Amino acid sequence: MSTDRPWLPAPIAWQWQADCVVPAGVVSLDAAQLCSFPVGSLGRPGEAAVKTAPVCFAPLRVWTLRPEVPRLRVVSVVAVGSVVAVGPALRVRSFVFDKQPPPTKIQPRGQPLTNEHPRLSGGARVPADGQHRIAPPRDLVKLEDRLEYILQPSIESLLAERALHLPCQPLPFQLQGVAFLYPRQAAILADEMGLGKTMQAITAIRLLFHAGKLRKVLVVCPKSLVANWQREFSRWAPELPVMVVGGDQARRAWQWQLADVPVRIANYELLCRDRQWLESPQLVPGRARHSRRSTIACATETALRFDLVVLDESQRIKNIAGTTSQVVRAIARKRSWALTGTPVENRLDDLMAIFEFLAPGLLRADMKPRQIGRAISDYVLRRTKEQVLRELPPLLYRDAELELSPQQQETYDLAEREGVLRLTDLGDAATITHVFELIVRLKQICNYDPATGASSKLDRLRADLEEVASSGRKAIVFSQWVETLQWLAGRLRDFRPLQYHGRIAPEKREAVLARFRQDPRCWLLLISYGAGGVGLNLQFCSYVFLFDRWWNPAVEDQAINRAHRIGADQPVTVSRFLVLHTIEERIEHILQQKRELLQEIFAHTDCPAQLGLTQEELFGLFNLRCPGGPIRQAA
Amino acid sequence: MHKMGRTGELGKAMKNGISPVNGSCFGFLTVVTDTQHGLFGGYLILNCSGRPLEFHCTAPVRPTRAQQILYGPTLEEFLFGEHIGQTLLRQSQLRPLVVCTDCPAALAVRQFSPAPVVLVLDERNLAAPSSQPEGKLMRIDGPHGTAELLRFEVGPNRLAVPCAADEDRRLAQERLESWTNSLDLLEPFERIRQAIEEAKQAVCQYG
Repeated sequence: MSTDRPWLPAPIAWQWQADCVVPAGVVSLDAAQLCSFPVGSLGRPGEAAVKTAPVCFAPLRVWTLRPEVPRLRVVSVVAVGSVVAVGPALRVRSFVFDKQPPPTKIQPRGQPLTNEHPRLSGGARVPADGQHRIAPPRDLVKLEDRLEYILQPSIESLLAERALHLPCQPLPFQLQGVAFLYPRQAAILADEMGLGKTMQAITAIRLLFHAGKLRKVLVVCPKSLVANWQREFSRWAPELPVMVVGGDQARRAWQWQLADVPVRIANYELLCRDRQWLESPQLVPGRARHSRRSTIACATETALRFDLVVLDESQRIKNIAGTTSQVVRAIARKRSWALTGTPVENRLDDLMAIFEFLAPGLLRADMKPRQIGRAISDYVLRRTKEQVLRELPPLLYRDAELELSPQQQETYDLAEREGVLRLTDLGDAATITHVFELIVRLKQICNYDPATGASSKLDRLRADLEEVASSGRKAIVFSQWVETLQWLAGRLRDFRPLQYHGRIAPEKREAVLARFRQDPRCWLLLISYGAGGVGLNLQFCSYVFLFDRWWNPAVEDQAINRAHRIGADQPVTVSRFLVLHTIEERIEHILQQKRELLQEIFAHTDCPAQLGLTQEELFGLFNLRCPGGPIRQAA
Repeated sequence: MHKMGRTGELGKAMKNGISPVNGSCFGFLTVVTDTQHGLFGGYLILNCSGRPLEFHCTAPVRPTRAQQILYGPTLEEFLFGEHIGQTLLRQSQLRPLVVCTDCPAALAVRQFSPAPVVLVLDERNLAAPSSQPEGKLMRIDGPHGTAELLRFEVGPNRLAVPCAADEDRRLAQERLESWTNSLDLLEPFERIRQAIEEAKQAVCQYG
């Protein structure tokens, strides 16, 4: 045996291994003292591998195989993808030597170091063993902090280590979501509706509590979801005490001041009312004057600084100038997470408003969509059902295209004629409010004629519900008006309908859902888009009826996903009621275009353009000229 | 002489509710070869739950020409065991029950460690062709005589110590038994490699 490095003695340890990864190409011998099998030397299985004096993989020792060196015969080879720079690496499953092993050295298991991080889009690492490890976010600069996350065991191990019981085994993409949230100071979990954002956030919070990284968490959500969050916390983190902030002012003041409350849940509206305690990180008004109470004030200061603030349905702060947005942005906090299935509900400004909460200054108004996409890529994790839930039951659309009944038609025509005449008379004085009034009036007539009670939609719904009831399954009916729901409830008594909307007291809503879930005689739940469009888990329902259509496709999708989500074990049929030759058909035509645009944009970039109905489009519904600019809040 | 330094240390982990108790932790030592920079040593100490307590890694190490000549066939053992391993173990404030390594040459660190040092065998290394009955892992030390490995198993993990270190095998078996019944002792080395990669990038980026 000889070597081209005369100062190196003969090898003392010959080791060989099968199933090693052989990087492609020959690395410079002088620079790195490391070399590898040239790709060309690895022949097909069974062929002699050493054809032209290749060099063997040997850290610190460089050996050149001379003709007298035994020939390597590869038994099986499989490509494993690009590892270095030259070309695909080859995994040698096994090989044998003609005489004796060449002087190779066992490479530490795994692949050789590369400059590429095996990161997923969300920053979680999924190594070969399938475990989900935590990868530090890009904005974490300090090496020690980054290493702290890298050196943590996998999410699975963290859960097992503390014997943290979970009600069911999370899906792999959910663990990836947990690993994404865990290290982040600012993050948007923007999974499509129904993929378990709440559960992922709670599990991440739970792990951070157990790691000692969190002590005070504030979850802000729509009022209708408070009970849902409370329930989910009791399922996924039963050991964490949770307080729902509510009651009269004195009670809320007391609740905000309590020091040892790990998790608080508050709704957006309440937050605005309690801004006096939240916006100022220093003092509760009226307390600082009294020296005796300065201790309380200091305690309050501590209590109102949160380690984490989670905004559920964070599109609620899309109006950056709105009170809600201002209040949540003023809350003193270390970490900020946002959960939303529709990070861009109408236009790019929605996303920018959320980022003003998460990472102020990260996005600027003059940035192009591509720049924004790059800037936020490490902050956003979004998965769609198509990507991760291929096994979810199908979603079947069965649009019901109806005609108005004669009485409805008469009322409708009269209302439209009068409305258009009025708008025409107003001329340039016509405002968007006038247009909306007319649209709402016409849409309500499409639902039912208030004078006669005639409704082709009701007739169709009743027929469908009889089929639903006979099959023993359950259905939910969405409408944007509480009046319509109450009117329906009166006419569908045979189906024992339950109602869930803004006129049902919040403390009674959970009982409504529980009854609907448990009572086999209750087949029907009447829900308003506003109260029940988000956050509810109704995956035991097989039928969804959209009695009237919302302005924005994203909101309709949210509603449909109450039933079509994780846990659904049977196909979900969606019936979208549409009255032909009416305002509904005209709006539907525009919404369909919007929906297609949304899909197209998200297929190429995460930065959708404007999606709401513009003022031109709304005036165009009545063939009227638009006097002004775009409507900012169409949905 | 090559630069040897500490580029990363997990001081915070010890403050975050994980109380380091000497004797109830385990060390993991590995050396990663980088084609551009040389050898990086990494030493991670975990508690019984697999949580990191300490981490140290070295700046890249390259043997000098003089070392290559002087140490000759024992150069690797010198680099892995004495030069890198000893330095890392000395840096550590904790005294683990057992030091695990996945580099055979790093077994040489045993002379500087009060705790037994065991080689964790990669399962893939054990899938030897049937033509090599004993040859799942072969080590033949020519000029220095045989230094065969004594293999043993603890839980799902396949370990080895030098044949002459039977007492180490007994101690390691005893100390690891309750801990590793369900744990993969190879997994921490993956963490070390990721950390070294991160440290390497930081060094490249910020000098």
